[in-house]
Amino acid sequence: MMLAGTIWQRELVEFAQRRRALIIKLVFPLLVAVPLVLSGAPTIYAAMALTMLAAIVGALGSGAVLTRERQSGLTLRYRTLPVTPGRLLIERLTTNGLIDFVQLVPVLLLIAVRHPSEFAWWPALLLSMAAVLLIGNLTGAVASTLSDSPGEVMLYVVIPLIPLLYLSGVFTPLEQPMLPVISRLLPFSYLYQALLGSLGGQPNLLPWETVLGGFGFLVGAIGLTGWFGRRVLESD
Amino acid sequence: MKADTVSEPSLLAASGLTRAYREGKGVFDIKLRLAGGEVVGLMGPNGSGKTTLLRLLATAATPTGGQLTWFGNSNPRDPSVRRRLGIMLDQPAHFEQMTGYQNAWFFAHQFGLGDDLSRERLDELFRWSGLSEARDQRVSEYSLGMKRRLNLVEALVHRPSILLLDEPTLALDYRAELDLIERLQLLSLTGSAVVLATNDVHLAERLCDRVLFLHEGRVIREGRVPELLTEVAGAREVQLQVNSPIGLEALRSLPAVQAANVEGDTVHIILARGANPAQVLAVLNGTADLVSTMRVRRPHLGDVFLKLTGVALPSAHR
Repeated sequence: MMLAGTIWQRELVEFAQRRRALIIKLVFPLLVAVPLVLSGAPTIYAAMALTMLAAIVGALGSGAVLTRERQSGLTLRYRTLPVTPGRLLIERLTTNGLIDFVQLVPVLLLIAVRHPSEFAWWPALLLSMAAVLLIGNLTGAVASTLSDSPGEVMLYVVIPLIPLLYLSGVFTPLEQPMLPVISRLLPFSYLYQALLGSLGGQPNLLPWETVLGGFGFLVGAIGLTGWFGRRVLESD
Repeated sequence: MKADTVSEPSLLAASGLTRAYREGKGVFDIKLRLAGGEVVGLMGPNGSGKTTLLRLLATAATPTGGQLTWFGNSNPRDPSVRRRLGIMLDQPAHFEQMTGYQNAWFFAHQFGLGDDLSRERLDELFRWSGLSEARDQRVSEYSLGMKRRLNLVEALVHRPSILLLDEPTLALDYRAELDLIERLQLLSLTGSAVVLATNDVHLAERLCDRVLFLHEGRVIREGRVPELLTEVAGAREVQLQVNSPIGLEALRSLPAVQAANVEGDTVHIILARGANPAQVLAVLNGTADLVSTMRVRRPHLGDVFLKLTGVALPSAHR
């Protein structure tokens, strides 16, 4: 029997024990990614679909889980643990982000195997993927405070996600002068650029610029998660 | 941080404590001081504010007014405060996909216990709670009573200085209730304080040093159990099970009747000292055939509450 004494260990143990969910979580991204990466699909479409996949994987899981926990009374129990709310939320969401990342590792491996010559983009891809997953988890966590219904929370997550993906230049090239600037303020644009590069496409950014962007958003997301701790865990 | 200014050391001190909700409910202007080894009961009907008050004391809710300190510290998020609290809230929430032992192990470690101590104490507590055989079952397969017992294990494992329990005997059988009373008495002998929200009058009378009666979010009466029982000393409670509704006004106008209330098909009447239960039946003259059963018994804390408020505590008349 696996025993967990810390918050992050507990998240991992619970995930590992849910075998059916584990298999579905690992297979689902591959079902999306295999046809995109192995076929001759244009890289802009493949990068677009995979960016959306990462954004949704990050946001939906934590939103639904935290809503259910609020209903069952687990959030109240978390609130009485001798841990500050910021640390608690960082520990939970980074672990969930890590689990989401593990879920997407087969996709990343597939890209690496298919396009080994684009290795210069791999650090950027890893960092920007991690940043998007953590920000997705945080979005889901904040949305979970808005409703008691997991379905409604999903809606609150998806509604802002679509325009943000558009503003990141994921759906269509941004031609208005201001839009490329705005896109640099959003984490999805870096993941999209890193995916374009890794898939052998033609990104607008250089690998090092994308590494910087991904790293900045990852650090920022951790800080923001700590800041939102009380908001998420103590909203009555 | 705010130091406790009273000379007598108190583990917990609340004054003017208020938590107001939008719909006008909550708790208001609560004053409470808790000394080591003391067992305090919070009693009141549903919606009286027991659970809200317990959540405030447990740092699970934030006050909207007043002062509240634990061990002289007013910061509810301070881990050093929370580590000394043992909490059993109204909902026995657990990680349902994990086993009972995995849940308890997690909480034991969160409250600062190492592997060896956790193992030793959990083995003993699982035996005590009767959960040993179910320790490796997922909590999703537990009954409500088992979940509540697991909650008790988790609240007790780190031997807290203050134990806060919401309806601890709910869904427990009689044997488990007796075990719990014994355990809590032992805990209080070691200097820990216990606050329990309950409507189990027998539990409160056997265990509590002091009881606070809550009604509509306010403490309407506080006192030591023997003092409170003197309010109804010599009085008797008459329980009438009726086949159809009867008017209470006529009953209440009787000098012999201190309080009368209906709960379902049962009328509870507190008779004054020396009053004859036959006087009640005389009022029902001509309608006595509506009464299917009649019981007369010694009054308890639930009757004190009924006398004070005219409202019966749920399940107080079992």
